[in-house]
Formats: sequence, C-alpha cells, structure tokens
Amino acid sequence: MKLTRAGTLREIDAEVISRDGSAIRVRIGDRELVAEFTPTADGRGVLAINGRRYPVFGVRRKESILISLGPGSFEFKRAEAASRRRTRGLASAEITAPMPGKVLKLLVRGGDLVEAGQPLVVIEAMKMETTLAAESAALVKLVRVEEGQTVDHGAVLIELSPPPASSVRESAPRGE
Amino acid sequence: MARRLTKLLVANRGEIALRIIRSARLFGLKTVAVYSAADAKGAHVGAADEAILIGPAEAAKSYLDIPAIIAAARQSGADAIHPGYGFLSERPEFAQAAADAQIVFVGPRPDVMAALGDKVAARRIAVAAGVPVVPGIEAAEISAAREFAALVGYPILVKAAAGGGGRGMRAVAEAAQLEGALEAAAREAMAAFGDGRIFIEKYLAHPRHIEIQILGDQHGAVVALGERDCSIQRRHQKIIEESPAPGLSEKTRARISDAALKLARAAHYTNAGTVEFLVEDDNFYFLEVNARLQVEHPVTEMRFGCDLVCEQLRIASGAGVSEPPPPRGAAIECRINAEDPEQDFRPATGTALHLNVPGGPGVRFDSHLARGAEVTPWYDGLLGKLICYGANREEARRRLVNALGEFALLGVTNNAAYLRDIVASEQFRDAKLSTRFIDEFFSGWKIAESEIDAAIVAAAIIAGEEAAPRPAGERRSPWDGLDNFELWGSRR
Repeated sequence: MKLTRAGTLREIDAEVISRDGSAIRVRIGDRELVAEFTPTADGRGVLAINGRRYPVFGVRRKESILISLGPGSFEFKRAEAASRRRTRGLASAEITAPMPGKVLKLLVRGGDLVEAGQPLVVIEAMKMETTLAAESAALVKLVRVEEGQTVDHGAVLIELSPPPASSVRESAPRGE
Repeated sequence: MARRLTKLLVANRGEIALRIIRSARLFGLKTVAVYSAADAKGAHVGAADEAILIGPAEAAKSYLDIPAIIAAARQSGADAIHPGYGFLSERPEFAQAAADAQIVFVGPRPDVMAALGDKVAARRIAVAAGVPVVPGIEAAEISAAREFAALVGYPILVKAAAGGGGRGMRAVAEAAQLEGALEAAAREAMAAFGDGRIFIEKYLAHPRHIEIQILGDQHGAVVALGERDCSIQRRHQKIIEESPAPGLSEKTRARISDAALKLARAAHYTNAGTVEFLVEDDNFYFLEVNARLQVEHPVTEMRFGCDLVCEQLRIASGAGVSEPPPPRGAAIECRINAEDPEQDFRPATGTALHLNVPGGPGVRFDSHLARGAEVTPWYDGLLGKLICYGANREEARRRLVNALGEFALLGVTNNAAYLRDIVASEQFRDAKLSTRFIDEFFSGWKIAESEIDAAIVAAAIIAGEEAAPRPAGERRSPWDGLDNFELWGSRR
C-alpha cells in the first residue's frame, strides 16, 4: 500500500506482513516493525510499538486514511489519489485552495517562470491571509482565478507545468 | 444604578458563548443564543434557553450585524447582552445600540471603549497617566512611516490601529518591505475591523507579553487580579498563557499592576478588561487595552478561585468591586486550534469524528467541541482551551503535559501534539519566555518520526482490513466512510 502524508511529498510504502491476534508485523519501506494492537471497549484501540503505548483512532475514506495517535492527528493520502495531481518533475501540478476563502492577491501570471518557494497567490480564509508558494521550480501554465474571487476547498487556482530544462537555473523573467 | 437582570443574550459563538451561558445560568439568568446558518448545530445553540437565527454564515451578516442582534434581543425580551470576545465585543457602536434599546451591555461604556479601542487614542491616555509606551506613530502616509522607521531603526512592527489579537500585525525587517507590509496590514485591518488605519512602532528584541486583569465598577473603583504571561505566540497570536508570570520580580509585578490601575482609572474603565504590556528586563511598555473578556481569562480564574463572567454580570447589575483575596498556585492555558503547525499553521476544517477530553484534578477544558461537531472555514479556528492548575508552575506544567497526552481529536487537523511538545520542552520548563519563543525554539517543528511510524502502522492495519475478504452478508468494515463513529471497538 502506498501512502503520502498530507503536506509532505515522500511516498510511504507500508503493509501488514502478518497478524496473529494482537501481534502485528508491519513493513514500512525496507524496515520491519513489530507492534501490538488491541481494540478497546470504548471504540478506540491501543497500539504498542517501540516500548510506547498510544491510544489510536482511525477512519478510512476513499482517498485518505485519518489517524489520531495520542494528541497527534495524521492524514495519509492514498498514492493513487495523490499521483493524479502530480506531473513529472513537479512537486504539484496544481495550486489548490486549502480551504474555502477569497483570492486576495495574484502574484504571478500565465507564462511566468517561478522558483521553488516563490509566493504565487494570497488567499484569505478564517480571517487569516495564507500565501501559497510553488513547491518546485515551474512554469505558470494558467491562472484560473481572479483577485476578489471566492473559491471552494480544493479549487484549482493555478496550473503549473515543468519548467523548460534550460531555464531552471536562470532568473525568472517576468511577464513583460 | 442597580438593575436586576433577568435574561442575557450572548452575542457570540463557540467555546466562549458556551462558557458565558454557564455562568449566566449560575447567576440566575435566562439565556438567549444567537447563531448563523453555519452554526445551527452549534453547542451554544443547544445550551441556551432559547436560540435565534440572525443570518447567514458570513460573520458580517450575522455575528457582526448589530441591528440583527439588537432585534434578537428585543424579540426575546433580553435585558442584557454579553458580547464575549472578538466579533462586536469592542465596537462602541454595538454598546451604544444596546444602550439605545434600554439593554444593559456587559462591558465598558461606549465612549470609554471608543477611546481605548483606538490604539492611538489609548496611547495618549497612557502617556497622560504617566504609563510608559513603546515609541510609535500612526502611519497614514508611507513617507511618515519611512521617516519614523529611519529614526528608531528596523525592525519595526506594523499593526491595525483598530484591532487586537494579532490581526493585520506584521514585523518589517527592512525598508524594502515597508510599503508591502503597510498595504497588507491595511487590507487585513479593513477586512477584520472595517477600519484600515495602521499604526507602526519600534520592535523590541526579546519582550515578554504580560497583561493585567482588571475589574472596574460603575462607582469608580478599579481592582487588579494579577498578571498573565502570554509570551508564547505564533503569528502574533497567543497560544500558551500562564499566571503568575515566571521570574518576574515582586517589585516589577507591583509597578506593572499599578500602571494598569492608573490607566484604567484615567479612562474611567468599567467591567472586565485587560491592560497589555511588553516587558523587557525591568522595563515595561503599555501596549493596549482589551476592553472585554480575554480568551485566556480562565488562567486568572483558576488562581483567584473566581468566575470572571459572574463578576462581569455583578458589575453590570450595579454591584461594586472589592480587592480580591491573594491568588494561589499557578495556572497554564493552551489554545487548541484547527490548524496545521507543520504547514505554517494553515487553518484546517473538518468534522470531529472522535474526541477524547482530558480529565482529573486541576484540569479544565473550555470547548464547544463534541463528536460530530463541524469546524467550518467561516470563523476563527479556536477549538478549545485546556487549562491546568497546580500548587506551583511545575505541577501545573506537568499536569498540562499529561492532559495534552490524553487529548485526541480525529477529523480536524489541530495543534495539540505541537502544544504538548512545547509544554514538555526544556525551554518551556525553564521559562525562557519571550514573544520570540516559537521562532527561537519551535520554528519548523515536526512531529517525532517515532509517532509518524506508529501512525503509519495504524494506517496499514486499517488498509489491511479493507483488503481482507469479507464473508457474504457481513456488514461493511467499521472504518469505511465519514459518518461511522463505531470504529475499533466494533470489530468482530
């Protein structure tokens, strides 16, 4: 099973190797972990691993698995869902709204070359301004929104494509 | 001036609406909740004696709509309004509208609120009362801002003249960033407060944020209820608050408290309020007055064994204030927010699919959360406040570490593990407090690899269940879907 933790890019390959009562062996990449999992009466489970015990709770969704482990909350995207949004050479081919909000400021336009970490768009949600930046060098293929526009969660704001190979190291020329 | 109150309308939502309703009930009042369409299932709606829909989800058309709220008060026969914090709590027009409708506003008078709510005017009052202030000016013109910055030197702090709570506030490190920062701050200030005026001031290198809780009655008496250290902030918003302020000398503590009282008396302050200071070594500078109940007020309640909302209601009924008994022990609060500390505190939304609330002696959780509760993008992301009391700071701190360890919330990304790591850290234990604490010790925080591994193991177990063949006729796996709350425990 291939998973990607939300907000990260590293793909995790994990599977249950064996399960005998509460004893479980799980492979993560090329590591093998031994754990004990006990469902509890109150609708939770206790996971014992590496000498520590964690109260655990989980929900499976179509595209992701949600886990709470003690106070930690985790979202794992299933690889099939994540890979659809990815293009070769790019961390992400689309810049999407992390939540419903308003587009405050567009900082790029179609045709711009951007560098990793370069701010692309500022959106306002929950009374906070959030700046979305390019995760890798890219060419701005299309800006799909306008300033002032209200957008839904997951709406595609900007489409990116891989930068032309020759331009990656050069400074990014602006629209004009 | 004495007036017997019978019914209180709470013009707020979330944890604070619930908290106010509890005290109002104790005080013997009937309660009225108001809610937006997004909050129809909100905890405060269920907790009040009656609830009135005041508008759509947008705050501007519901929780910020003065005529709609006054109409709800009239309709329900409420004779008092408590504004909570945020929303309309520091809008003089709201207090005035209540007064015009013969409704008691649980807070300071509109004119006092207007004077103190404006940072520029509040500074003037402070200076006149002999209270030290940080050098700063209102930045109406970019040229004036440039001049001031050149005079006191970068970095400088840009903030909304009308605001509080860090909205529209940003530090500017160099001249090149000044214009952009002023623009962005004005935009945020306009959006949050409907007032785009900007104030800039000297940025102190390692200040602590220390504030004094005050209560003033309608007969001119003002008392102070100790201090709170709220130095631990992210994006200029407090996330951990405590009382007493660790390591503060008795002498400085007394001087800050006296300054707060002087200012409050000069402003003819009534009801509950907070005077905020920046403190560096033994120097302190007036920051602003929050003319309302603060988010972090429970820290004071735990030490003084009082109920500040009941005190507010008493004052609003015309009762006098008197010197509080000496405080005891130590209390620490942390704010559990719907945000991702690993993604630059990006706000999160979702449905609470599972919630585990910590308990035990000295543990208090003020929250509107419940299983099934929805966290929407419409309002701020405060999910709850976890407050621990101890005979001393270390006991309170260790209690809070344990309580955060017990806390669990599935379905809404939140900062509980981040808070646990902060409270458990050596730096917090040793009280290395300044408003730079997060930048210095916890920027780029990630949850421990060992916990990520454990979470992956849990995810693999769930995915393994999915792959296993199920006999015909057996019900769906308990982990499927959003709405299934019976999870691990319901396994065959």
